Amino acid sequence: MFRTIQIAGGLAMLTCVTGFGQEKAQPLETGAFHGKVHHTSGRATIYKESDGRLLLRLTKFKTSNGPDVHVVLIAAKDADDDANFLKSSTEKLEIGPLKGNEGDQNYEIPAGTDLKKFQTVSIYCERFNANFGAAPLEKF
Amino acid sequence: MGRRKWILVSVGLPALVALWWAFRPEKLWINEKVNEPAPFDTSGGPQPILTGRFEGKTQQTSGRATIYKKPGGEEYLRLSDFTTSNSGDVHVVLARSDDQNLAQDVGKDDRIDLGPLKSNQGDQNYDLPAAAVTDLNKYDAVAIYCERLHAVFGLAKLQPF
Repeated sequence: MFRTIQIAGGLAMLTCVTGFGQEKAQPLETGAFHGKVHHTSGRATIYKESDGRLLLRLTKFKTSNGPDVHVVLIAAKDADDDANFLKSSTEKLEIGPLKGNEGDQNYEIPAGTDLKKFQTVSIYCERFNANFGAAPLEKF
Repeated sequence: MGRRKWILVSVGLPALVALWWAFRPEKLWINEKVNEPAPFDTSGGPQPILTGRFEGKTQQTSGRATIYKKPGGEEYLRLSDFTTSNSGDVHVVLARSDDQNLAQDVGKDDRIDLGPLKSNQGDQNYDLPAAAVTDLNKYDAVAIYCERLHAVFGLAKLQPF
């Protein structure tokens, strides 16, 4: 009996300490942007919200402004600066048009996205098929 | 003469417009700034401020090092998903990533000792001394350092979260 209480207490404390509360979004994966040709910097983090939805958040973000720039996930561990995804036939998943070339911003990730497959966030210029910058995601 | 001018305008103008549409050169000077807040509660608990993945140096080491700031301003280091090899007298230290000698050794003056490694596997927290709070620009890496062998087992370079 006492043992059960102890374990329950321990679990409750663990929940407190590690912050695994139900109401808070948990960071799953994170990575820093690199991109020399188009000077891309900042961080991409994927959060799991309390209702299970996946959210991509860019913070301290900066890239060069350009036409038709999108946020995409690509099925690769990382991407070279100025990588050409059409030529390399790397599978990519559209997340949405880039909201701004500077500043914090949020994007919803489609339900059922396989994050084991799509491991890199790319800032991708559709018009010129150019990778402005990439953030390889690793477990937080 | 008038006809030639007309042809020039009728061909040149659409060409210019097409070039402008394709390259949007004004975007070289114009920035589009956004500042969306996190769509979840970030107040109250400790916030991650710096993070990095471990790389194995003299021993296989993996996992993540993250420095959190508590609402009161105190900072602590958390190792998560962590594994290194088991050995005697292993310490967690803050080091400088630009330290040339890091591959071999970390000089006593070039590190801030956070204490002996609690375990070679698993999640664990280490308080940062107050002096180190101001020095995170200088001490921008976490090293798993074996005092006995003078060897860096693994190193995590920290980047802003």
